[in-house]
Amino acid sequence: MRVVKYTLLSLFAIPWVVVPFWLVVVNSFKPAGEAAELGLGLPRQWAIVENYTTVVDTGDYLGGLANSLMITVPVVLAVLLLGAAAAWAYGRGDSRWLRATYFVLSLSILIPPSIIPTVHVLRGLGLDGTPFGYALVLIGTRLGIVVFLATGFVRAFPPDLEDAAAIDGASRPQIFARILLPLLRPVLFVGSVILVINVWNDFFFGLFLLKGQDNATLPLTLFQFASGTLQTLQWNLVFAHVLLTTLPLVAVYVFAQKHVLAGLTEGALKG
Amino acid sequence: MVTSLPPRERPPGTETAPHAPHPADGGGGETGDPGRRGWLPWALPAVLLVALFFALPFALNARFAFSAWTGFRSEITWNGLDNFRMLVEQDLLTNAVTVTVLYAILCMAIQNTVSLSLALALQRTDRVNTVFRSVFFLPTLVSPLAAGYIWRGILDPAGPVNSFLGIDWAWLGEPATALLTVAFVDAWKWSGLITLVYIAGLNSVPRELIESATVDGAGPWTRFARVRFPLLAPAITFNVAVTLVGALSAYDVIAATTGGGPGDHTRALNIVMRQQWGQGFFGSASALSLTVTLLVIATAVPLVWWLRRREVTG
Repeated sequence: MRVVKYTLLSLFAIPWVVVPFWLVVVNSFKPAGEAAELGLGLPRQWAIVENYTTVVDTGDYLGGLANSLMITVPVVLAVLLLGAAAAWAYGRGDSRWLRATYFVLSLSILIPPSIIPTVHVLRGLGLDGTPFGYALVLIGTRLGIVVFLATGFVRAFPPDLEDAAAIDGASRPQIFARILLPLLRPVLFVGSVILVINVWNDFFFGLFLLKGQDNATLPLTLFQFASGTLQTLQWNLVFAHVLLTTLPLVAVYVFAQKHVLAGLTEGALKG
Repeated sequence: MVTSLPPRERPPGTETAPHAPHPADGGGGETGDPGRRGWLPWALPAVLLVALFFALPFALNARFAFSAWTGFRSEITWNGLDNFRMLVEQDLLTNAVTVTVLYAILCMAIQNTVSLSLALALQRTDRVNTVFRSVFFLPTLVSPLAAGYIWRGILDPAGPVNSFLGIDWAWLGEPATALLTVAFVDAWKWSGLITLVYIAGLNSVPRELIESATVDGAGPWTRFARVRFPLLAPAITFNVAVTLVGALSAYDVIAATTGGGPGDHTRALNIVMRQQWGQGFFGSASALSLTVTLLVIATAVPLVWWLRRREVTG
């Protein structure tokens, strides 16, 4: 019975995971003509250096990588920090204002952001097309889910620890940093996993909100690069770019997979 | 998660009771318990950002959708239903709504079938299952755009799928299979995450319940249909809502695979929206964007309500 199950799972994993990833890797090593056959065999002729230098040079990979990091890291940190602070307020406080704003925050999880008026708002702020404006929009549209999950978490704990610290004379920022943040660690970790994947891979918002080659993040450089040869995709180069774009997340995942999987299966539905 | 959107009511008294006996209550204003008003500053940065970049655009969109606003003139003026009328006359709106709804249903069906099956197979946390979970999570890391390019290669008429099947079929180029194929790619990309949510849901079903059902003579199918499935309802609610809502605003995968073609067979609302925007028709682009929002609300509200009722009654 177990043997049957694992055989079936392995058979399913071949078309589902192995073939897609293998196709990308092996064809990014081939010269253009051979990659056009889209075969799964090893290259008859190797073109690793040529392909990857082309992608790094004309596909503007390094610029895209730098931009993606400069967006993802601050956005994720800001969402976690501001989200945790808000969750503390919603978990402990109770007033008409808190209830009303919590309702709006909850709606922002489900309802897709309206991208065109967002451009209009950014124009009004003088931030249209800039990485800073793009980052602010990402923070504003991703906060809801983190606040929602963390508020449930705060409510599940009695406020005894915080009260005791307050009696001992700890200030509120101290209580937040020393008690709340460590308490929220599991849920903030789950939040950061989802956020990193979501923000790193964002293409739709970047397409509307970032202007100019200098500001393009990796998904945008991939799109421009692939669109440049739209009619007949140069598969060797497109796959090399796909591989380089995906690699940073896979690399992080390889090291953190145990925590990622445990966090998502055990922490995701709490709260 | 999303299933409990409205703020939970707390029993009266629990808010103030724990603080009442504290001797330091007088100084509470500066320390741990800032009183009723003191909490707002902690929520304020988040509230401002959400107000500015979610609530305000949401409200503005309702105006722009009924406004003449193009790249050719700077004024934005009210024009009633003109944007919608124009989109209908150009045969854009009706088709886009049909494509979007069909696409969302296909994504939801494929994704939840695959993910629930994988979750049932990988429910127990042991070493082999952990390896499989880890492998099946990999597609989630790939960007939707990159996923589109990868599957465009696999499903190319010259690609591995056709050579394995020994056929010559343009999966993404034929009207009969294009939409289904794109929906499949979308489902592929998200399946890893949805599987984990299902595993979490399955593991929250108390083991004693399954065991006593087994003792009472329930077979594997009855155990699934009568015991696990109803208790899995919160996870199903969440996943069905999330996959439907996500697919209604799809853009990336379609842009990378078909760009809306063949003809208009995969031209979902956001694809038309981007085209209108690119041509300088900002008003009609807003109208399409509002249509997506309305579809999401029309789907999410009854779905969450109905599925939550089922959770309670089992």
